[in-house]
Amino acid sequence: MLKIIFLLTFLTGGMVSMAQKQHTISGTVKDQKTGEVLIGASIILLEQKGFGTISNGYGFFSLTAPQGNYTLVISFSGYTNDTLEISLKKDIIKNINLQPGGAMLQAITISGRSKNSILRTLPGVQSLSVEEIKNVPVIFGEKDILKTIQLLPGVKSGGDGQAGFYVRGGNADQNLILLDGATVYNASHLLGFFSTFNSDAIKDVTLYKGDMPAEYGGRLSSLLDIKMNDGNNKENKVSGGVGLIASHLNVEGPIVKDKGSFMISARRTYADLFVKLSKDTNLNRSILYFYDINAKANYQLGPKDKLFLSAYLGKDNLGFLGLFGIQWGNTTTTLRYNHIFSSKLFSNTSLIYSNYNYNISVTQSDNSVTDVSKIKDFSLKEDLQYYVGNGHKVNFGFDATQHIFAPGVFNSSQNSSFNSLTIQNKYSLDLAAYLSDEWNVSDKIKFNYGLRLSSFILTGPGSFYRYDANGNTIDTTTYSSGKLVKSYTSLQPRFASTYQLNRVSSLKFSYSRNVQYLHLLSNSTGSNPTDLWIPSSNNVKPELSDQVSAGYYRSSNNNQYEFSGEIYYKYLQNQIDYKNGAELIANQNVESQLVYGIGRAYGLELYAKKKLGKLTGWISYTLSRTERKFAAINNDSWFPARQDETHSLSVVGIYKPNTKWTFSADFVYNTGNAVTWPSGKYNVNGNTVFYYTERNGYRLPSYNRMDVSAILQGKKRGKYDHSWVFSIYNLYARENPYFVQFQDDPDNPQRTQAVQYSLFRLIPSVTYNFKF
Amino acid sequence: MQYLKRKYLVIVSVALLLGIGCKKVIQVNLKNVTPRIVITGEVNNQPGPYIVTISKTVNYTSDNAFPPVSGALVIIAGNGNTDTLTETSPGTYATHTITGRPGRLYSLYVSVEGKVYTSASTMPQPVQLDSIGYAASNRFNDKINAITYFQDPPDVSNYYQFNEYLNQTQFQNNRVGSVFDDRLSDGKYITYTLYNDSTDINKGDTLTIQMNCIDENVYNYLNTLSSITDQNSFQSPTPDNPTSNISNNALGYFSANTIEKQSVIIR
Repeated sequence: MLKIIFLLTFLTGGMVSMAQKQHTISGTVKDQKTGEVLIGASIILLEQKGFGTISNGYGFFSLTAPQGNYTLVISFSGYTNDTLEISLKKDIIKNINLQPGGAMLQAITISGRSKNSILRTLPGVQSLSVEEIKNVPVIFGEKDILKTIQLLPGVKSGGDGQAGFYVRGGNADQNLILLDGATVYNASHLLGFFSTFNSDAIKDVTLYKGDMPAEYGGRLSSLLDIKMNDGNNKENKVSGGVGLIASHLNVEGPIVKDKGSFMISARRTYADLFVKLSKDTNLNRSILYFYDINAKANYQLGPKDKLFLSAYLGKDNLGFLGLFGIQWGNTTTTLRYNHIFSSKLFSNTSLIYSNYNYNISVTQSDNSVTDVSKIKDFSLKEDLQYYVGNGHKVNFGFDATQHIFAPGVFNSSQNSSFNSLTIQNKYSLDLAAYLSDEWNVSDKIKFNYGLRLSSFILTGPGSFYRYDANGNTIDTTTYSSGKLVKSYTSLQPRFASTYQLNRVSSLKFSYSRNVQYLHLLSNSTGSNPTDLWIPSSNNVKPELSDQVSAGYYRSSNNNQYEFSGEIYYKYLQNQIDYKNGAELIANQNVESQLVYGIGRAYGLELYAKKKLGKLTGWISYTLSRTERKFAAINNDSWFPARQDETHSLSVVGIYKPNTKWTFSADFVYNTGNAVTWPSGKYNVNGNTVFYYTERNGYRLPSYNRMDVSAILQGKKRGKYDHSWVFSIYNLYARENPYFVQFQDDPDNPQRTQAVQYSLFRLIPSVTYNFKF
Repeated sequence: MQYLKRKYLVIVSVALLLGIGCKKVIQVNLKNVTPRIVITGEVNNQPGPYIVTISKTVNYTSDNAFPPVSGALVIIAGNGNTDTLTETSPGTYATHTITGRPGRLYSLYVSVEGKVYTSASTMPQPVQLDSIGYAASNRFNDKINAITYFQDPPDVSNYYQFNEYLNQTQFQNNRVGSVFDDRLSDGKYITYTLYNDSTDINKGDTLTIQMNCIDENVYNYLNTLSSITDQNSFQSPTPDNPTSNISNNALGYFSANTIEKQSVIIR
């Protein structure tokens, strides 16, 4: 920490003393109607070219300029610009309230976000507004953040019925998903059909495709930063919706007007109620539902202090005939304290709790077993932003997290065939400090560079094993509580630069290194709620990635259109796969079942977006390759990862002919997943056994699908506002492959066949939304 | 723990039942394979002769006609005896004098087409099958599942293989037999249900269960084999050929195991 303060002083000291008669205007940008703070609003001085800033994650901005009289222009996508005459003779604090106004219809509105994508230094950043998420058609009419980001370049979907996503060739567990700063370990509901995020409660979604700010770390591929709404601090509002599969309700309002507000948003599915109506006696005795609750409250303690408390609780319950049941869910709580030390120094302190757990119970002819597994995090995070001068901002801080892993407690009944078993807990400490500098060297050149130093410390109590090449235990060492078992330290440089070619186009280049200390073990081709998170240890080394990327960005027609092309190359180390026949469930020696290798991924991403007008939308195309190499697999030669996808295309169109109707459609096409299929077969004791020659040497048939939706805005009666959403998922009922099974031909014992299973054909849905 | 694997079957079944999912036979272009030697052999605690079969792989798209391999020199040694097997029909080789005893190591030597393949397996001590029974399946159908009951000996690792016969004919969908190990059940009284396709079981049929005690390598082989041939393979591990206990890249396995059978009449 001392080192960082020293470095900071060194970095910034010189510049501060150079500045003469400079003053700072600072404040918070808010929505005038609801009091929600606006993230990423642009603040510029009209008279001074190159003087501007962007509001941070809490709406705070700080802008330093030479003494003088200026016109301050504040703009944000979907809001009317605000213009203020200011006289900068001393430091000023000015809070700004923007009037919401339909940007779609007002072409003159300068969009804060669109400006950012050319000027923002980090490449590979994708932001989605809640408006965009709302208008994209999705399955069962449940708007879904994770499904919508899969329409962006470089982001690959796991396919129908899979919530997991893959960014630039990374694995599904290499995405850091943060909800108000808290890690969400399992982002799927109902085994992947839905994501855990209720978009009613979401304010802002930003995806960093590998080039994350130094403030973040811990995953190789991406950071998905999700921020919840703060709640309306002007008046009480109720909104909700009734859909085919789920209903949701959102209540928000002031705690004390203009001082504090709260928001509670909840939803629950009721597919199980339909299941109960089924005539099938086996089916109607089953349970199948999830619910989630997002809640947030904030209170302005004084002009410089603000407190936030946010919480999330999600639960899934799946039960089958009372014989097999599984419940799983995430719980997160974040307590944040914003403090403005001065017009130049902004601080955010967070206390974070995150928990993911699952429970399984099996009752079967006197064989009763229950299994409880969880992972728990406690974190303290301190982030400071120092606005050195115009176009120069230093971010620094630290992060300390304790992870507690309780992989499994198996309890069996007295007469069960299984013994009770407790897999020992593991304890680890994740410490990180960072320093980064966002610096506009000139009108044309900008840098965003930084360093993240992180340490991972695995401690006792517990017994730790060493294994030979065959996975047999060589020795066991027992450590007492708090004793160091193994530690890793790594320095992660991050560097990004922008060269602005002219007013509408720029070039960007970046390099970043990421390290990942937690690993998700999943010995199946899809994602399961029972997949196991394990820490790095004496056997499992931290995963590493190095990514370089470059891009060209352009906007045209006064920001109506936006275009970007990016290329990337990523090299991955200490990647994990499994031995043949690996036992991951209820195994104390789970680390003996792993094999290690390397990976590489490279690709080209093209993205064109129309942001304004009656017709909006985007086209995204990705050409890429993703490979892995393991000594124990495929004779140590490169093979395509399952998520390798040569071509991937998404087209999204939203058409708003008038204020009453909104029509939207999306189309996706991608190369089928790489899969391992048998090439031959042989006979073992009269049974046909399949013979495999290479890993992932085949391809599923290509995936394509079109969805459409129409939103009908009802007549507003007083305060009561309502709308209908009609949508059709998979319009032309394409039978996309979920998996292909190889089996004996039931009609001809001399033959074998391949059977393709598909999950969803055409699915219509309707949702009624209301607000008052 | 089998239930853990089966939850996706539930999801897909629900989707299929609600009429939104579907399945169809598709044509796939699969590569041709260079034929590889497949050896299977067994020595058990019942009187011989014991059989070793040698055959070759065929392309997936071919008929299930697996070319037998003739003219091999096949030797099984163990229990103080070395027995050279005689080819009784193409690709099938039988022992003459060797006898299987629990606790003894048996080795296999095969020399064919200029290559030598070897293997070894130790016959475990037998575990007594207490009784067998049957019950209606708890799943979507009203199938009948066989249940076995036995006491697992404490403090030793035990590995079991089960084969199911209906009126003395082995189940078609039995694959290579269900396997079970006592990793999580050491010393317990075991109730083990066989989830084979039992659609054809009717009242009055005789159901026979064969329980084999096998060694660890054979268990690992059969366990991987059953995971890649599982009926709901879509949520199984990425398939790969099971690690054989036979050298020189042969497919198949060699097992020295005990055998016990019990029968029950379905009422």
